[in-house]
Amino acid sequence: MSIARFSPFELLLLKSRSQVDTATLLLLAWVLVHRQHVSEGQRRRRLAQVTAQFRHGHELGPVISIAHSQDLQAIQLAAEVVRKECGTERSLSVLHQAITVATDDGELSLANHYILRFLADLLNVAPITLSTLFKELTGTPLAPPEDPSRDAYWQTHDPDYHARKAREAEAAEQQHQQANARAEQQQRKKEQRHQQKQQKQQEKQQRQEQARQAREQEQQRQREQTRQQEQARQRQQQQREQAEREQQRSRQQGSRQQHHQEHRNRQQRASPPPPDRTARALSVLGLTPGATRIEVRHAYRRMAQLHHPDRFYSESEQQVALASARFQRIKNAYDYLMQTY
Amino acid sequence: MRDLYQRLAVSPEANDQEISQAVASCQHSALRQDAEAVFAIAERRETYDTLHDTVSDIGRLRARLGLSHGAHWQGDVANDFSLPPDHAISRHDELVDRVSHAVSLYNRWRRLRGPWLLIAVFAAGAGIGIALGLALCLGLLPM
Repeated sequence: MSIARFSPFELLLLKSRSQVDTATLLLLAWVLVHRQHVSEGQRRRRLAQVTAQFRHGHELGPVISIAHSQDLQAIQLAAEVVRKECGTERSLSVLHQAITVATDDGELSLANHYILRFLADLLNVAPITLSTLFKELTGTPLAPPEDPSRDAYWQTHDPDYHARKAREAEAAEQQHQQANARAEQQQRKKEQRHQQKQQKQQEKQQRQEQARQAREQEQQRQREQTRQQEQARQRQQQQREQAEREQQRSRQQGSRQQHHQEHRNRQQRASPPPPDRTARALSVLGLTPGATRIEVRHAYRRMAQLHHPDRFYSESEQQVALASARFQRIKNAYDYLMQTY
Repeated sequence: MRDLYQRLAVSPEANDQEISQAVASCQHSALRQDAEAVFAIAERRETYDTLHDTVSDIGRLRARLGLSHGAHWQGDVANDFSLPPDHAISRHDELVDRVSHAVSLYNRWRRLRGPWLLIAVFAAGAGIGIALGLALCLGLLPM
């Protein structure tokens, strides 16, 4: 047994002469609270006007304060009572009242779009019936609610902001252009000065270069002589090394081969991996070089199942986008391998 | 109406910095543009948040009342704001339970009031008698 006390709305419902009327009153107050540009007194008067025929026999003040507090449990209780007690005729009249309360000035707030549709579902009213009722009462058809989670909504509902932004961008561009023009002028002046200087320098340089060329020719001749000497020395050394290596080979052929292989391996590891597209594609699929065609196909199937974007559909869109990027990479690798293998 | 918070995988209470990070790291360019339009300006985010609260309230109500598949609850809203049914029992049944419990307590009190009243009267009488006797004893001795 719960030890919770009765909530204000439960007490109101128990004291009420007609539970359905009290519950309807709360739902209408909920709709009224979500109407914009209406003062508190206007809300109360409107509610009293609409519910003049009700037989609840209590004050409206507590109901409005409960609706203001957005007490979800109270609203749920009211919805249950209304659903349980309302027949077809009564439910249409409740919906009628809700629409009039929501759209006195013909404007339906976004929240009330959803609330009215919730009430229609609650009272088991088909969409066609709701739209005809709405059209009869307001003279305009019931449009689907606009979507403030999209950029297009704000483009139409907040044009001031976009106009301001466009103006700012224009001003910024003008400033930028002016700055550019100024900079260009300065640059031109600088270039003129620079050219004058360069002409003077060029004359000097020509003289210096002639002298340098003469010097360089002499140096080159010397360098060639030394290179010839060195080549002769190297040839002698190579001959000596070859003789030594042949001796070693005759001594221990088996162990040498092993050693040689190890050496080659080490060289491969130390140097950066060659830009081999096949090896990269294989590593994307989690395989080592030398994998067979069947292994590639199996690996692709496994990876595709693991990274398919549809698996992440229930999570956020970001996850889906990441997964599709991964999947694309895997698929590219597989396509490439299937062409080359 | 879509739940941008759910689609960006951030909580609705996240501060501006977290949200701008999430928006920047979003890979879906159309979603990123929409999220930037909504979250870049504080007033727009406020408007969006109030509607978001109302619609998630309605989603919860629908889940509890078994209206998650209503004819008027379709498209993006139904995708993003439908909740799995929680095991909260019907509020009306709960109210009826509590009223019947209160009634049974009240009835028990009414039923037991007779005997308890008799016992109380008897005990009070006995107490008064004892007190009087004591007073008499103490009063008589000096006499």
